[in-house]
Amino acid sequence: MSILPDIPILSFILLSPLLGLLVILFLPKHSGNLLKTAAVIATLIPLALSLWLYADYDKQQSGAVYEEQLDWVEVPLNKELHSDVSAFTFKLQYELGVDGLSLPLLLLTGLVTAMAALGAFHVKKRWKAFFVWFLLLEFAMLGVFLARDVFLFFVFFELTLVAMYFLIGIWGFYNRERAANQFLIYNGLGSAIMLIAFVILVNTAGFRVEQIGEQVQYVYSGSYADIIRNMTDAGAMVNQPAVNEMGALNPFVMSDTMHRTLFIMLLVAFGIKLPIFPFHTWMLKVHAEAPPAVVMIHSGILLKMGAYGLLRFGLLLFPEQAKSWAAVLAVLGVINILYGAVLAFRQMELRLVLAYSSMSHMGIVLLGLAAFNEIGLQGAIFQLVSHGLISALLFLIVGSLYERTGTTELTELGGLARSLPFTSGALLAAGLASLGLPGLSGFVGELLALLGLFESMRWLAAIAVLGVILTAVYVLRSVLKITFGPLPDKYAALKDARLIEAVPMIVLLAFIVLLGCYPSLLTDTVQYSIGDVFAQLLATRAGG
Amino acid sequence: MEIYTKAAWIIPLLPLAAFLLLTALGRSYRRAGVLIGTAGALAAFLLSLLVLIGRLGETAVDYSKAFDWITIGDYTLRIGFEVTNLTSMMLVVVTLVSLLVNIYSAGYMKSDERITVFYGYVSLFTFSMLGLVLSDNLLSLYIFWELVGVCSFLLVGFWYARPAAKAAAKKAFIVTRIGDAGLLVAILLLFWYMPDHRLEFTMIQSVFDGPSGAITTELSTLIALLIFLGAVGKSGQFPLHVWLPDAMEGPTPISALIHAATMVAAGVFLIARTYDIFLDSAAAMQTVAYIGGFTAIFAATIALAQNDIKRILAYSTVSQLGYMMMALGLGSLTGGIFHLFTHAFFKALLFLGAGSIIHAVHTQNIQEMGGLGSKMRVTAWTFGIGALALSGIPPLSGFWSKDLILSVALQENKLLFIVGVAAAFCTALYMARLFFLVFMGKPRSSLGGAHESPSVMTIPLMVLAALAVVAGFVETPWNGALGSWLSGGIAEEAHSSGIAIIASIAVGVLGIYLGWLIYVKGSVSRSIVSDKAPWLVMLLERKYFIDECYERILVKPLKGLGTLLMALDSYVIGGAVRLVSAAADSAGKAAVRLQNGQVQTYGIAALLGLVVIVLAIVGRRFWS
Amino acid sequence: MLPSYLTMAAILFCIGLYGALVKRNAVIVLLSIELMLNAVNLNLVAFSKYGVVPALTGQIFSLFTITVAAAEAAVGVAILIALFRSRGTVQVDEYDEMKR
Repeated sequence: MSILPDIPILSFILLSPLLGLLVILFLPKHSGNLLKTAAVIATLIPLALSLWLYADYDKQQSGAVYEEQLDWVEVPLNKELHSDVSAFTFKLQYELGVDGLSLPLLLLTGLVTAMAALGAFHVKKRWKAFFVWFLLLEFAMLGVFLARDVFLFFVFFELTLVAMYFLIGIWGFYNRERAANQFLIYNGLGSAIMLIAFVILVNTAGFRVEQIGEQVQYVYSGSYADIIRNMTDAGAMVNQPAVNEMGALNPFVMSDTMHRTLFIMLLVAFGIKLPIFPFHTWMLKVHAEAPPAVVMIHSGILLKMGAYGLLRFGLLLFPEQAKSWAAVLAVLGVINILYGAVLAFRQMELRLVLAYSSMSHMGIVLLGLAAFNEIGLQGAIFQLVSHGLISALLFLIVGSLYERTGTTELTELGGLARSLPFTSGALLAAGLASLGLPGLSGFVGELLALLGLFESMRWLAAIAVLGVILTAVYVLRSVLKITFGPLPDKYAALKDARLIEAVPMIVLLAFIVLLGCYPSLLTDTVQYSIGDVFAQLLATRAGG
Repeated sequence: MEIYTKAAWIIPLLPLAAFLLLTALGRSYRRAGVLIGTAGALAAFLLSLLVLIGRLGETAVDYSKAFDWITIGDYTLRIGFEVTNLTSMMLVVVTLVSLLVNIYSAGYMKSDERITVFYGYVSLFTFSMLGLVLSDNLLSLYIFWELVGVCSFLLVGFWYARPAAKAAAKKAFIVTRIGDAGLLVAILLLFWYMPDHRLEFTMIQSVFDGPSGAITTELSTLIALLIFLGAVGKSGQFPLHVWLPDAMEGPTPISALIHAATMVAAGVFLIARTYDIFLDSAAAMQTVAYIGGFTAIFAATIALAQNDIKRILAYSTVSQLGYMMMALGLGSLTGGIFHLFTHAFFKALLFLGAGSIIHAVHTQNIQEMGGLGSKMRVTAWTFGIGALALSGIPPLSGFWSKDLILSVALQENKLLFIVGVAAAFCTALYMARLFFLVFMGKPRSSLGGAHESPSVMTIPLMVLAALAVVAGFVETPWNGALGSWLSGGIAEEAHSSGIAIIASIAVGVLGIYLGWLIYVKGSVSRSIVSDKAPWLVMLLERKYFIDECYERILVKPLKGLGTLLMALDSYVIGGAVRLVSAAADSAGKAAVRLQNGQVQTYGIAALLGLVVIVLAIVGRRFWS
Repeated sequence: MLPSYLTMAAILFCIGLYGALVKRNAVIVLLSIELMLNAVNLNLVAFSKYGVVPALTGQIFSLFTITVAAAEAAVGVAILIALFRSRGTVQVDEYDEMKR
């Protein structure tokens, strides 16, 4: 049993960045060190709490163990439509919960954000505003993974866009404003599609009957628990025919066409975020223009939100559609992997190499989802966490390199292993993790995803293995270009990483090694908590 | 003695501990680095020796233990270790060579500022290689397989500031990675086809050995070929051999440890561990045999025309690995493993000897050497022993193992026998050329400062020389001890074939004699071939243009594809995005144009809107 | 009888609509609007006599409309005169103040 008493730990986690934000608002604008310290402490609180939560999480329990619920907005509807009810309302709920799917990502968010706060040493202007947006971003990201109500999810999802928009647009590189605009418009489009899908979902599947004593209440709400129950229960109204045998109309009906349409809408909405080819161009600009600490978060967590949404809303709510689209997902995944790898091979700018590499690695997530079996799904989740850590580490190093050399062009860099041995070593280790070296976390995700896909789509998996080779090619090309070779004179006097830079690198690397050597730490948590959801998914597969 | 077998899992951990300690210490503790690295290797060697001694009896039982690494639903991936006679032999070979290289490097790398890092990498490599040897299933073998690859990469690129080292490290990693991808697919295939998704070697043996029918012959051919692809990459077989000669950019002790004795033999070891899959498929066996035979002669001819001492030895390694593959492909597990065993000692000896020479004269070009025999007596003697062993002169170890392979070839496949004999002739010739050019002749004035290496470097040479002499006696035509021990007591018939013995001695002696004639006595002109057929010499010097072919066939098209996709990305996909935004923009502009202030235009627009709505409402009846 | 009244009203309305949207002279536009109003009045009267539930309300309502239309015409013409004084034209397409 949980050792946590009845304190609302999830709300604590969610709201602690806001607390830090409040403190920062009262700090003087020019004392940079004070602001940084406050921000780092503020990010450490959710990290500590989510670590505690992860340790305390009872793996044998299935479903969401920690849940909190409050009614947020309640809109009365016309109850005259139904003769036998005491109330008929539409509720927006403040509903939080974690399960094995969101808990690792929650912890990842806490970890990467804290490391990014430590790594934000290169921010040179307007610290106060930076950390305000930064903490707001963390609040929103935590909210995305904690939310158990589709509207709440949507609100947090949008909030990340706003915070990111300002973080890119103010603190980015030369073309920051264009990048910020493109980011906002592209993702806004995705969000709009997502909102439409959610509204349709709530209108059909978000219906429940509450019984309080004698009184019966009809409620429309965005509660995920209601939606998934209705969607997967064959007896629920959603899955009944439009007109029943009595001739009465079923107001909740969702036709097959609508099922498919919703699935495609969600696929597009989250596919933009993931990003799936060909919706990836915005991501390149963000990677290239945003400040490194923000890209750590962007590449480390925000991309994961796309996969998380696709898994939670796309696959779990529409298993049959997902199953029939599995081949498409797998093909998209393979395209992502190979396309990203080949293009990463041709880039002359380290940040773009890493951007295409992110795209390539997200392809592996798609493969895992498309495999449609437990191993594949586990592989997808593992790859999410692993790539989050690895890309955060890589961009942390990019920040350090840029601060010293003033460039991330591959043609300008070289031989840095001599003057920056620690940073170069970390870069090499991160590169090796990224190309899937066993013993580091990247390998496990790759292995599980491929293993899963190999059961159903053998040829596609074999083609995807080509990506393993290509990844080695582009990673080594760029990493060796930077660290190996003769050292140009202009870089001879560079100083190696300071302690404040080295600490987050070591911490991230430690997590990468830990997950690579002992993956059960993650897979068991996922396994026990949503094993039955997967089983349900697989049962659909067997039946359908 | 059972206890040592059960504790075998500790062996790899000792060098790992050394690696972790060295990494934590940093590069300032130079002497400590040497001591810790050597101590780790020594401890591992002693324990391995105990394990081996414990298994020399007839009754040794294989022991394996595994733990669940990842459990997902009904599927479990395990990591474990298994001690068999084969692994215990490999343990000793790996730890012994590693120990000697550790000692030797104390002298060779003495003045390098990153000697602690070097010892760290060597310890990490020893850990990975021991893990590979001990693995009880294909997946954990693959994990360590990749780790040795990355250690090889790190050590080849150890002198990272040199562009050649950088290129060689990259090439080594990527080329072997191609083979690794094949191995990975083989593992994926096996995982889904093996009963209970087990990947243990013992399970593989029981499934493929008996007529269980769980896996069809076509499938086992496919799996075997994919595994062989992995072995081809790691063991430098044609056509993935290109990385191995380039890998000589690494420090010479590394070439001895990784690229001669241990890691490159991992491919042979892998095939030996999964031999039952190969036995199940005649096609795969033939492929292995022919690729091995072709590589043996192919690399031996290239070695004839090289001038870099380490490259000659590297091509020689490729060629000898080809022999091992050929033996395996011809069905002689003992032959392959036996040659692996003897080759590990004499090739490590040759590389370390070469290192000793390079240490003394600071060049690798044999044309610039000469007359070193009088100045470096220990090196010359030990190198000579190694060269004779490699050339297959009895009673040195190389003779016995090569003879076994040739005997098998004579029985199974006459063509491959001829190939093997021809390669043996080339081997003797290039070793004679190497030895005579380096140690005989007049001393060059430019090498005046050359002197014998310190004893910390010569002692390992002497140990290895002794082993190169005696190691062959574990398996002789009249004593099949190794074969029966490896196969668990089933006495294999001792192969002995007079023709094979005579042929192998004859070509060995002939090769050395021809070398003596050309390079010492001078009665045959050195330029006899280059005068008559300059194209042949060029072909050999340029290594049959394999690198150039790869450049044309793989690298250029990949770059071209990259450029093409880059254009696609920025023009087609980026263009589509721009098109959408332009469309939205022009729609907005059109709407602005409608806003002309004319009430009547607004009225018309409103009217049209009304018409559309009415039509939609009316039309809906007909539509649904 | 109803259809003929309705047809008549529809024709009147369409003529009025055409004039209101197309004619450039503001006076004609005003006249066309009156035409449309009369078409509506005709409908109201017709339905009050021949509709499903005949009632006097329709006729009374049409009287209202006529009154209001008269007032509206007066205001419209007044505005027109004011416009003519300031702009010196009665051409509708030159009245594009709304654009600014």
